[in-house]
Amino acid sequence: MDHGMLLALTVVLPVAAGLICLVANDGLIRRLVVAVTTVALIASSLLLYSGGGFVYEPAPVFETIILVLDFVLLVYFLYAGFRFGNLLVIGLTLLQLLPIAYFEFVMGRVEVDHVLMVDNLSLLMSLIISIVGSLVVVYSLAYMDEHEEHLHLERSRQNRFFFFMLLLLGAMQGLVFSNSLYWLYFFWEMTTLCSYELIRHDGTEVAVRNAVTALWMNLLGGVAFVGAMYVGHYYVGGISLAELLGHSQTPALLLLFATLAFAAFTKSAQFPFNKWLQGAMVAPTPVSALLHSSTMVNAGVYLVLRIAPAIQGTSLSLGIALVGAFTFMITAVLALNERVSKGILAYSTIGNLGLIFMCAGLNSPLGYAAAVTILVFHSVSKGLLFLGAGVVENRVHSRLIEDWEGLLARLPFTSLMMIMGMISMFLPPFGMLIGKWAAIDAITTSPLLSGLLIIMLVLVGSAATTVYYTKWLGHLTVLPQAERTRKGEELPAAYAVSMLSLFCLILVMSSGVGLVVNGLVLPAMPADYWGGFYAGLLSLETFVGSFITYPYWIAAGLILLMGLLIARRKGGVVKPPYLSGENVPDNPVAFRTTADGEATADVSGMFLDHEVSSPQLLRMGTIIGALVVLIMFLTVVL
Amino acid sequence: MVDLLNLNTYVPALFVVLAPVIGGLLMGIDRKLTARMQSRIGPPILQPFYDAIKLWGKQPFLASGLQPILAFGYFGFSVAAYALLAFGQDILLMIFTIAVADVCLIVASFNSKSPYSNIGAKRELLVMMSYEPVMILAALNISIMTGTFMIQGIFDITVPLLPYLPLTFLAMIPVLVVNMKKSPFDVSASGHAHQELVRGIYTEFSGYTLALIEFGHWTKVALMLSFVTLFWAPNLIVGVALALTLFFVTLVIDNVYPRLDWKSMVKTTWTAGFLLIIANIIGLIVRLVAL
Repeated sequence: MDHGMLLALTVVLPVAAGLICLVANDGLIRRLVVAVTTVALIASSLLLYSGGGFVYEPAPVFETIILVLDFVLLVYFLYAGFRFGNLLVIGLTLLQLLPIAYFEFVMGRVEVDHVLMVDNLSLLMSLIISIVGSLVVVYSLAYMDEHEEHLHLERSRQNRFFFFMLLLLGAMQGLVFSNSLYWLYFFWEMTTLCSYELIRHDGTEVAVRNAVTALWMNLLGGVAFVGAMYVGHYYVGGISLAELLGHSQTPALLLLFATLAFAAFTKSAQFPFNKWLQGAMVAPTPVSALLHSSTMVNAGVYLVLRIAPAIQGTSLSLGIALVGAFTFMITAVLALNERVSKGILAYSTIGNLGLIFMCAGLNSPLGYAAAVTILVFHSVSKGLLFLGAGVVENRVHSRLIEDWEGLLARLPFTSLMMIMGMISMFLPPFGMLIGKWAAIDAITTSPLLSGLLIIMLVLVGSAATTVYYTKWLGHLTVLPQAERTRKGEELPAAYAVSMLSLFCLILVMSSGVGLVVNGLVLPAMPADYWGGFYAGLLSLETFVGSFITYPYWIAAGLILLMGLLIARRKGGVVKPPYLSGENVPDNPVAFRTTADGEATADVSGMFLDHEVSSPQLLRMGTIIGALVVLIMFLTVVL
Repeated sequence: MVDLLNLNTYVPALFVVLAPVIGGLLMGIDRKLTARMQSRIGPPILQPFYDAIKLWGKQPFLASGLQPILAFGYFGFSVAAYALLAFGQDILLMIFTIAVADVCLIVASFNSKSPYSNIGAKRELLVMMSYEPVMILAALNISIMTGTFMIQGIFDITVPLLPYLPLTFLAMIPVLVVNMKKSPFDVSASGHAHQELVRGIYTEFSGYTLALIEFGHWTKVALMLSFVTLFWAPNLIVGVALALTLFFVTLVIDNVYPRLDWKSMVKTTWTAGFLLIIANIIGLIVRLVAL
């Protein structure tokens, strides 16, 4: 098939599927459409990937369509602003609508060569969106049935849910292939629309409030985009991304990139714009899974990775690194104090995106490679974690991780998925940790003073990360003897298929990390960034270190095997815990107190309430984050 | 990579096999010295081994089915970390591997509903949080000196690290105290049974699982001390003397200081670690530039 057709298919297919789901509000049709779309989308993005990069000019009529749709979109935002009486939304929409209208009708159209441009970075992004994103949509088939059953709706609202989910996939695909800033901006605002609609899907008061917050924060990014186009058009001479990247460095160009970086911060929920992504967890879980893993937040990091080569060695680049490192540190500390499962995952997402920004901001070959590595592995692991968290939430009817106690006995399959998701986030030899390792190597080779500041932020952050994930693993694997009955776990096929696919993907990708690095990560990098990071036969190599891969997997496998053998050989009877010798027979967690009364031993989680005060820390983080962003702009302007 | 036909390859392998034994011996010496400091005679130096043999043969009781696997994981990954050190591999990878071992131990103690082991596990988490960043920062400082994170690089530069990294060396003392679970930072469990949390993180281990945990602990102590020997890498005899000195200092600290809470542990290791090592890094850079 010809390139252009494939490209069109990849972008339009999810949108078309979404439209069918919107019109035909029927479970069977929906299942059919989603199944076909998933297979077709993954196939087309794989085919597209194997074809490599090219440029593509859509027919001129599409320019007009995009323009019209953009106005419709902005008018809709305006309507949303009036509907919920939010002045910020109204103001920020007007700040986009008026300049764009002026642009179009007074100034005439800006011509851009190569409206769509496909290279390895966008192909990699498209692959992530297609595979992880589609699996999340498959998962939603089962989730939304359970969700609506729980809500007792008169009429199913799944049609609009699936429409926006699939639309988001299409918008993301369009976003990563756009070369014209205007097209990029349009798709950018489409993702804003989808996230806003998905967050307010349940229509509760909280949902609407958080959706409006998400809307205005993301519109802030839209305004930045309009600003970037303005600067590009008047002071640099074009809004083609490829041309801008190749342009010689001028202050105006740097300002343009700074505004794009600002937009990226809003979309990727970096401090001080973290609030919207945390609020997004009121939506049904598949929404979080989609926003956090493969779409939406990835748009921000994608944009920064895109502009990174052009800002190498500037204060802007350093500013991006600092915002990212600070966000990584503070979210990890905040996650220590978080009790809600999706809340912890949200902090973890924001933090890991921060890590990617940090790496991209270091802007060395190694830093760039680390950024792409983390991006790839994060999307798969975080996808699985959210899918698992959603199942648990529907089964346990609680969002608190303290209520996850003994989940391994209650929901063995889902627990296994969650355990894999968690350990793949922070332990070797999994891909995320390899990314973090490369990141530390990259910091080592960066200038001294900024390097020292960044490394301290990263070290505190990763220490706290280990604590909150291990703590959670602990909750999950407690086996209260009272609940030792082990029944099989009944799961709808859509759950099993989506989670198992991601599970296998993590295992395959992490054990074959050398192939992933050579086959996916390195090709996605700009040519002059090659050479800092490569996979040898048995290890990954940087200038300053070497990470053993396959021997490590073999060793880890042997340790597991020997552990199993010893456990088998020596065996043992499971006994109630030590309760100072006062155990009550037949009740493993009860002990005798005064006058032979019975009391139950219980332990709560560790959330460091006295040491980590979330509201204060959040406020402080917002202020510091805003200051860093401000200083970043000042150094660019002055 | 490893050359299987070269006899020199087998020397590190021998060290890996011996690491738990050396660690066990050090534990015996520890008990003897501590006893002497407290005017007791103390057990024979081989006592830890007698204990382990006895534990191995005891009737097996478990807290959960996962417990023995995780207990072996603690031991296994400690040995793996030692192997990375012995074969001159990446220091960062070694530190991450120690983290895997720690996570196995912690999750194993979380496995039981026991309040004592649960509190111990939480405190062990904070122990991990307190020393890991300091270790990585020390690795960073070493890499500035040697130009690489590979342990082999420390041997390649042929000058000892200590004269260039004195403050980082000092920062290793709290790391050692924390890892050997010694006062004042024996918050998660200690050699001496503290009443308030019985045996802390070890409470729910018995018989062979406890023996496995002991093996893991010995290996980890041997690993930490071997890491210290790297500060005089060209002549490892001096390095071993350095390590033994720090070992002795740790024992003295253990016997002099009363126990402190976890907050002082994190504060001390982080403040001392970060300040000393950052000062050392800046000093080192100035020195290297001056050369």
